[in-house]
Amino acid sequence: MLIRSKFMILSACTALTVALAPPIVAHHAFPAEFDANRPVLLKGKIVKVELVNPHAWIHIEVAKPDGSTEVWMVEGGSPNTLLRKGITKATLPIGIEVVVDGYQAKDHTNRANGSDITLPDGRKLNLGSSHGTGAPGEAEPPSPQK
Amino acid sequence: MRVRLFALGGLILMMGLPAASQEGGGIPRTPDGRPDLTGIYDANTLTQIERPAKYGGREALTDQEAAELLRAQATRDEEADKPSDPNRKAPKAGNTLAGKSYDDFWKSFGNRVVTIGGEKRSSIIIEPPDGKIPPMTEEGNARDDKYGGLAGRSDVLERRGQRPDAFDDPEASANSERCLLGFGWTSGTPILPNYLYNNLKQIVQTPTEVMIVTEMIHDARLVRIGGRHLPSSVRKWLGDSVGHWEGDTLVVETTNFTDKTRFRGSSENLKVTERFTRLDANTLLYRFTLEDPHTWARPWTGEYTWAVSNERMFEYACHENNYALGGILRGARVSESEAAAAKSEHK
Repeated sequence: MLIRSKFMILSACTALTVALAPPIVAHHAFPAEFDANRPVLLKGKIVKVELVNPHAWIHIEVAKPDGSTEVWMVEGGSPNTLLRKGITKATLPIGIEVVVDGYQAKDHTNRANGSDITLPDGRKLNLGSSHGTGAPGEAEPPSPQK
Repeated sequence: MRVRLFALGGLILMMGLPAASQEGGGIPRTPDGRPDLTGIYDANTLTQIERPAKYGGREALTDQEAAELLRAQATRDEEADKPSDPNRKAPKAGNTLAGKSYDDFWKSFGNRVVTIGGEKRSSIIIEPPDGKIPPMTEEGNARDDKYGGLAGRSDVLERRGQRPDAFDDPEASANSERCLLGFGWTSGTPILPNYLYNNLKQIVQTPTEVMIVTEMIHDARLVRIGGRHLPSSVRKWLGDSVGHWEGDTLVVETTNFTDKTRFRGSSENLKVTERFTRLDANTLLYRFTLEDPHTWARPWTGEYTWAVSNERMFEYACHENNYALGGILRGARVSESEAAAAKSEHK
């Protein structure tokens, strides 16, 4: 199978805006770690998966326009949640190709947050769903992903 | 990693599984007849801490309103699960990043509306009756200004951009960012849900002590049963907790706080009274009252339920792999040197 990878960074002059008090407080301030003016679209093979707290990191090998490759680290959430959903390292095997939308780190190293991580055909990596307990007032658990 | 998880899982299994409930759906009890609180609980909820204005001050939600809350979350989950455009371009520049920091598949927002005595609740706060945290006193506001943030919440970072020294030093970062205490007050004291993920709690009970562990961020608070508080010169980040039984309810009073946590802007003089009651084999009612005349003109009380869970609570080893804090500090240095270079070009 021919795997085509490409790598693109778009720069823009849009001013950074800071959102105040969203209802959900992230572990750290994303605007502090990632550069809103450096959006990226990364395509490449997974070469390493670090299911660590406070944030998991998926390493992918991305081809540059000149044909050489470089490894980018993509930040995700807490692996504890994934493990409870049944998602493990085996779900994200080395060698599968993924597409990542995100923003490059403010230190301009090859790191980005993963706003959207999918398979090349656009399907989400969400392979499970949260479990209910049957307690009063609880939602019916959503049907599993196909 | 796997071996460690198995070992931890085994330990949790030994320590954490709730005792079998008694006949007739009663609550589990220890050999000395006390309610047995030992177990793993899931404190997630979709019910907000303060009552949204749309409920017009009503404590109870209608069935329709409760269903709407659940439906809205289900819709969000459904949307998030839909495939993306395989030929998409990079996202727009200037995105605030606040709403879409990373995929929803990492998250577990909550799947319950607080329901107590059959009543579905519009907020966790029940006192004052408007479901809102009472206004801060002048003294509380002045202290809040000094600390520079959103009612002094050490876990809220969005406003720190207003502080010129915010990225000069790791110690200027919030407790959660430094992996010291959970964000969104999952660590307490008192303990609130964070509406994102990892809302598991573990209680281990003995006749003389009760331990409350929050998964995020691995905080264990020890409650002594009976006895007195430590001398006021001894201060603790999560406070000094002393408990006693009132019938089938464990009442825990916590004082001796420091200025490092500042729960919703509170001072070191905060007093928290928590009440843990097993309602049935599947549910624990968690109620808390905050008193701090140096911060609020009157006390306030909230309550919500924790569901007995058969999920596994995992170690949240935060510090060792906290690449984010280093990234933030390095990012600030890069931004500074770029700004300095741009300035010298203008000269």
